[in-house]
Amino acid sequence: MPSCDLTPAVPTSRLPDSVAMTALTDLAHGFQVALTPENLLWALIGVLLGTAVGVLPGIGPALTVALLLPVTYKLEPISAFIMFAGIYYGGMYGGSTTSILLNTPGESASIVTALEGNKMAKRGRGAAALATAAIGSFVAGTIGTIGLTVLAPVMVQVGLRFGPAEYFALVVLAFTTITALLGSSVVRGILSLFFGMALGLIGIDTLSGQSRFTFGIPQLLDGIDVVTVAVGLFAVGETFWVASRMRHDPDQIIPVKGTVWMTRQEWARSWKPWLRGTALGFPIGSLPAGGAEIPTFLSYALEKRLSKHPEEFGHGAIEGVAGPEAANNASAAGVLAPLLTLGLPTSATAAILLAAFQRYGLNPGPTLFRSDPDLVWGLIASLYIGNVMLLILNLPLAGVWVRLLAIPRPLLYAAILVFAGLGTYALSGSTVDLVVLYLIGALGFVMRRFDIPVAPAVVGVILGPVAEDHFRRALQIAQGNPSTFFTRPISAAILAIAAIMLLAPPAIRWWQVRRQRQGVVSPVSAATP
Amino acid sequence: MTDEPPSTPTREHPFTPPARVDIGEMLLALAAVVFGILIVWQTTLIRLTPAYSKVGPRVIPYIVGAGLVVVGVWLAYEAFTGRVPLGTTDSEDADATLPTDWRTVGLLALALLAYLLLIERAGFIIASAVLFVISAFAMGSRRQVRDIAIGIVMATILYLVFSRGLGLSLPSGVLEGII
Repeated sequence: MPSCDLTPAVPTSRLPDSVAMTALTDLAHGFQVALTPENLLWALIGVLLGTAVGVLPGIGPALTVALLLPVTYKLEPISAFIMFAGIYYGGMYGGSTTSILLNTPGESASIVTALEGNKMAKRGRGAAALATAAIGSFVAGTIGTIGLTVLAPVMVQVGLRFGPAEYFALVVLAFTTITALLGSSVVRGILSLFFGMALGLIGIDTLSGQSRFTFGIPQLLDGIDVVTVAVGLFAVGETFWVASRMRHDPDQIIPVKGTVWMTRQEWARSWKPWLRGTALGFPIGSLPAGGAEIPTFLSYALEKRLSKHPEEFGHGAIEGVAGPEAANNASAAGVLAPLLTLGLPTSATAAILLAAFQRYGLNPGPTLFRSDPDLVWGLIASLYIGNVMLLILNLPLAGVWVRLLAIPRPLLYAAILVFAGLGTYALSGSTVDLVVLYLIGALGFVMRRFDIPVAPAVVGVILGPVAEDHFRRALQIAQGNPSTFFTRPISAAILAIAAIMLLAPPAIRWWQVRRQRQGVVSPVSAATP
Repeated sequence: MTDEPPSTPTREHPFTPPARVDIGEMLLALAAVVFGILIVWQTTLIRLTPAYSKVGPRVIPYIVGAGLVVVGVWLAYEAFTGRVPLGTTDSEDADATLPTDWRTVGLLALALLAYLLLIERAGFIIASAVLFVISAFAMGSRRQVRDIAIGIVMATILYLVFSRGLGLSLPSGVLEGII
C-alpha cells in the first residue's frame, strides 16, 4: 500500500484533522499487518473456533474467549490478538445461532434474540432468522469497527490528559455500572465485585513489594490469574450448577428449514433495524460503563414501537431479531474502545481480553497506541476482516453449527471440564492452580445458587489491582490528600456520574412506589421484555 | 392488575413472599460478613514498609473487607424483608426450581479430584480421559465404552495439538517415551 507523508507543518496535537489523518495511516499499516497470509490464517482459525465454541450451549462469549486462550499462548502478540479478534466476534455470532435454534433461553444478551428468533424458527423461517442475524451482525460489526477507528484516536487524546485520579474515577464508574445495571439486585452485584477484588488482592503488591493473602504458598505470589477465575466461575461453576439441577425435558433443536435467503420483504423489514440497532449499540457499548444487555433490550423495545407489524412481536417478527443482533454486535465493537484506548474493560469478556494483553506484558491505553501502533491497529484491521469472514463462512456453514447443538449434554460438559483443566494447568504447570480452579468453581456454584452475577467478580479480579494502582498513585501525587479526587474537575465529574448511576435505579423505584401509593398511577408490573 | 406471586418460587416469579426468613440467605449474609472480617484481620498482618505507610498495601484491602461486611449486613436485611431470589434462571440446561442433586455434584467432584491426582503422575492424556469419562457418567451418559473411546481420542488429540503443535508443556506421565 502506498504510504503518504502526512506530517503537517504545525504540531499535530493542535490540529483536529491530523488526528483523523494519523488514524487512517495507522489503519492502513494495520491492514498491511493483518493481510499477511499467516495472519489471515490465524484470523480464520479464530473465527471458526470462536463460532464453534460460541454455538455450544452453556458457553457464553466470555467463557469462549477464556477457554480458547490456551491456543494463543505461544503465538506472537500480533497473531494472538488477531486470533482474539476472530474469537471475540465469532463467539458472539455462535451465541445467536444457538438462541435462534434452541428452545431454551441461554445467556442474557442472547435472550432477546431468542424471543423472536425462536418463534421464527418454529414457523419455518429459521434460516431467515439466521440470515438476518448474520447480515445484521456484519453490518453492525463493520459500522461499529469504523466507529472504533474514528473514536479510538479521540479517546487516546483524551486519555493522555488523564492522570491517575481520573483513571481511578473511571474505574469506579465502571464498577458502579457493572453492579448497578446488571442482574437482579445491586447488593448481589456489589458482593460479586468485592469478592472479585478480594481475589485480585492475592499476591505481591507491586507498589510496596509486600505479599498479601498468600498464606505462605509460593504459587500464590503471582496472584490468581483472571482466566482461572473466569474459567472457574463460568465453566466449572456452571457445570456444577447444571449437575445439581439438570433439566429433564430434552431440548428441542428446531431444524433449519426454509430458504437460506430472506425474501425481499424480510430484507425491507430488516435493514432499518440493523442501522438503528447499530446506532444504539455502539455508543452504549463504548461508554466506560458495563452491560451488553441494555442496548439489546432497548433495540427490541424500539423496534416493537416502530414496527408496522407490532402484532407479530412475540410470534416471530424479524425486526426483533435484526435490531437486537445488530445492537449486540455494535456494542461488542464499542466495548473495545475503552478497553484499547483507556485499558478499561467494561464486560467480563473485555476483562479476559485485558488479561490476555497483560500476559504479553502489554498494557492497553494511550501509551500502547504510541509504542505499538501496529499491534493495536492490526487488531482493529483484523476486526474488519473477521467480520467479512464470518459473513461468508457462516451462512453456508449453518448446517454444521446446528449439528454441534446436537452434542449430548453429558459429553459437552465433560469436554468443557477437560478444556478447563488444560487451560489452567498449562498456565503454570502447577496443581495448586487446579485446586484454586476447583475452589473458585465451587464458589461459582454457590453464586449461581444465590443468583449472584458472575461478571462483576471477573471484572473485579482484574480491575481491582488497576484501581488500587491508580488510587495510590493519585494520592501520592496529592501528598496523601484524598480530596484530590473531588477537587480535580474531570475526576469529580466522573465520580458524580458514578454516584448517579448507583443511586438512580433505587431512587426511581422509590419514586414510582410513592406515586402508586398516592393512587396516581396503577401498579407497575416488573419490566420484562 | 396485580398478579399474586405463588408461595413457592417459579421461573416467572423468582422472589418468594416474606413468609419466613430464608436460612440460606442468612448463611450467605453471614459468610459475607465473616469473609470481610477475615480479610480485615489478614490485612493487619501485612507488613508495612516505612516509605509507603500512608497509602500503603493495607488501604484497599481494608476497604474491600469493610465493604464485604457492609454487603453482608445489607443481605441480612434483605433476607428479613423477604426479597430472596431463586437461583440463576438464565442457564440452558439447569432448571432452577429443582432441589440440589448432591449425588451428581459429588460424582463430578470425584472426577475433578481424580484429574488432580492423576495429571502429574499418569500424565495429561490419562488424566483427561478419566476426567472425561467420569464427568460424562455423572452428567447422565450411560455409554461408557463410547465415552472411554472418545475420551482417549480427545485427550490424545489435545495433547498432540497443544504440546507438539503449539509448544505448551503438558505432562506425559506414564506414557513418557511412548508418545
